[in-house]
This record gives sequence, C-alpha cells and structure tokens, in this order.
Amino acid sequence: MPLALLESAVARPPSTELDHWMVRYQQADPEAPGVLVGGLSPALLQFFRRQVAIREMADDLLQETWLRIHRVRHTYRPGEPVLPWVYAIARRVGIDGYRRVRRINSRECVMEVLPDEAAPTETRNTSPEFDSLVAALPEGQREVITMMKVGGLSLEEVARATSSTVGAVKQKAHRAYEKLRKLLENQPANEWKGGVDELR
Amino acid sequence: MNCDDLNLALIGECVISPLPLDAREHLKSCKRCRELARTLIAPIPPDEPSRCDLNQIERRLSFDLRAVRPVLSNRYLFVAFGAIFVFAVSLNVHRLGALGVVAMSPLQISIVLGSLTISTCLMIYSLMHQMLPGSRHRVSPKLLPIAITISLVVMIAVLFQFEQERDFWVGARACLMTGMPIAFVTALPFWFVLRRGAILSPLVAGAATGLLTGLVGMSTLEIHCPNLDGWHILVSHLGVAVLSSIVGLGVGVSAEIAERRSTGETKGRAQRGN
Repeated sequence: MPLALLESAVARPPSTELDHWMVRYQQADPEAPGVLVGGLSPALLQFFRRQVAIREMADDLLQETWLRIHRVRHTYRPGEPVLPWVYAIARRVGIDGYRRVRRINSRECVMEVLPDEAAPTETRNTSPEFDSLVAALPEGQREVITMMKVGGLSLEEVARATSSTVGAVKQKAHRAYEKLRKLLENQPANEWKGGVDELR
Repeated sequence: MNCDDLNLALIGECVISPLPLDAREHLKSCKRCRELARTLIAPIPPDEPSRCDLNQIERRLSFDLRAVRPVLSNRYLFVAFGAIFVFAVSLNVHRLGALGVVAMSPLQISIVLGSLTISTCLMIYSLMHQMLPGSRHRVSPKLLPIAITISLVVMIAVLFQFEQERDFWVGARACLMTGMPIAFVTALPFWFVLRRGAILSPLVAGAATGLLTGLVGMSTLEIHCPNLDGWHILVSHLGVAVLSSIVGLGVGVSAEIAERRSTGETKGRAQRGN
C-alpha cells in the first residue's frame, strides 16, 4: 500500500494484535491495559478532538471511554474485531458528553464581571483545512468521515461502530464527499502542487 | 469514471486504501476530486494524549483488573430469548385456551403465526446485536420496530375483515387487559438475559424489548381470542405490542437519564477527590 495514504490515519498497532491484547485484558493480564491504552488512545483522542473544540473535554471523554471499556469488557467477544467495539463505546461516551455540556451550558448564566484572568483556551493543533471542512458537515457525516480518516476504520467497521448498516454508512460518506467538494470549491484557490501519484 | 464513481472508490474500503488505476486517471483531469482527495489523504498532525494522563488511566484499569467471562455466543443468546418467548406463549395459551386457532382458517393461521414468528426472530436478532457494542447490524435497530409494526398492520388489513362491532371497546379492553400483564411479566426474564450486555442506547433497546414482550402478548391473544374482526385485532392485539413498545421506550428514557445522573455524580466525586 502506498505510504502517503497510510500516513493519513493515526498510527496504532495492527488490529489483529489489538484483538489478541483485548482477550488478554479479559483474562486479567496485567500488561494488557498498558498496551491497549497506549495503542488506542492517540486515535481516540483525535476522534474526540474533531467532535469537541476544547482539549480538556476531549481528555475527559478519553478517560471516561476507558472507564466504560473497563466496565463492559466482558461484552467483547473473542474473534470479533476490537476497533468497532471500542469506537462504539467511544461514540456513546461522546454523545453523553455533548449532552452533558449542552445541559450545563443551558443552565449557566452570563457573568457581568469577567474574572481577571481568563482560563487558557487551547486551539486545535491539527490540520486546519480538514478540521474546518469536517466541522461544517452534519454530525452523522462528520462522525463517519472522522472514523474513516482518523481511526482508519473500514466501511464495515464504521457500520458496526455506529450500529448502522454498511449501506447507510456508504450513503453518509457519499453525501459528505459531495458536501466537502462544494466547500472546497468555495474556498480560495489552493491548487495541489504534487503529482497524482502522491494521491494513490 | 466520474466524480460519483470516485466517491465510491474513496469509500470502497476506507479512505486510506489504495485508489484503483481509473480513479487515479480521473484525478488527473478533475480539479474538484483532486482537492477532495488531497484533503482526505493529508496526514493528521500528531496530537498525542499526555503520558501522565495515559499512566493515570492505566493505573485505574489495573487497580480493578480481574478476569471476566465473555458474553455467551449468539447461538446461546438466540436460544435463550427464543425459549423465553415459546415458554411464555405456551404457558399462557395453556392457561387461556386456543379458541382463536379454531376460529381462523388454515391460511390465516399459517400467515398470522408465520408473521409473528418472523417478527420475533428479527427482534431477537436485533436485541442480541444491541447487547454487544460494535456488532454487525443488517437492519437498522431504530427502524426495525417501526418496520415490524407496519408489516403487522398490513398483514391484519389484508387477512381480516373490518366490521362494526356493537361492544367494540368492551372486547378490546378485555384483550388489552389480558395481553398487557403477559407482556409485563415476560419482560423480567428478557431483562435477565439482557442485563449482561452493554446496552449503548437504552432508548432503542427499551423500545425493542418492549415490542418483543408485546409480541408475546399478541401471539397469545392471536391463538386465544376467537374475535376475527380486523379493528379488534388491530386495536387490542397489535395494540398490546405497540403499548409495550411505548412503555419500553419510557423505561429506556428513564434508564438513560439515571445513567447520565450517575455518570455526572461519579465525575463530580472524582473531581472533588482530585
């Protein structure tokens, strides 16, 4: 497989290796939590970073995801792919997290006097073009594109993670690409200088 | 190849798969697709979680690490759900009698019981997969209860005649009062099987379980009740399934709210502890 394309997704150990470590995690192998947390957290954090703007919140969601994974680890069935299982749980934690934030925001009142020192807000340290484009997509389409692009999940794996059918995911991705094309057309000219071979 | 075909090529497996030769040829001539492909393959700058956070997560997982037994295989789950269904229907038909089967024609019996069996199998299949995160769903779990309800309405409309009954509500009430308790009681053993799963959407699972228990009530009524009026079957037999599904949906909403509160409290305690 051409290298340029592989570099697109966040690096993680091969799926089969993760499946194996998940089984060992169920068997209480003390090494397993470290391998799984280290191997899956970077991609999960990137996944959350595209759903929420604040880094602290993405970190919180990551922690919550691991706690929930730990609680329901018996629901992973050996032999099944681990990535859709993990992303299905992460997705649910994400949904709960956004709802919580929305609830808190709706109850918050505006302060007349601002504190002297504002809390540091971190800006995203990721590809600005991809992030701004993906942020303009509807939630369902953004989720599918993020899982495919950031997590490197296949169509089948995204369908499993979102409790959806392959056909529905394909349709969402198709619509998302159409929308991305329109958004790219409206952006200032930013012609690709490289050759077509690099897009393989 | 056109832009739509390129979309399919990009979607094909996942965005990081190699593009086929004709897709690359198309990219040479189409600026829009070139821009899209460039955006999709642009590498993601590293945004690693802090080592300290990862260590903290690892410590928390290791602290409470003990061996767990994975959930039973799909075959066992299917048998368990099926056995509960068959046992509940048989027990209630034995208790109430099978007057409905005597009143129906062989064609009506085979289509009614066939549809109910297929609906039940589909609901069991859906629930089984909802128990395990990341399962493959061939039919959307959100749409399935709606599709089943609509197909049962069509089946009733085609098979039975609609007449004006004098004491319609008396008969309807009697069947609802017979079917609803059956559905509620059957919910207990179903919950016993479901409780080991990780239900990610209590709302959808609640509605699905409600419909499944409602199908137990409806199947019992179809075998027991000799009233073959279409309106009666729609309102008081299918009504049991629909009402159970609504009750299940309500239970799912309550479970979701309770879970959200408990997560909020756990989080608050953890923050105070820090």
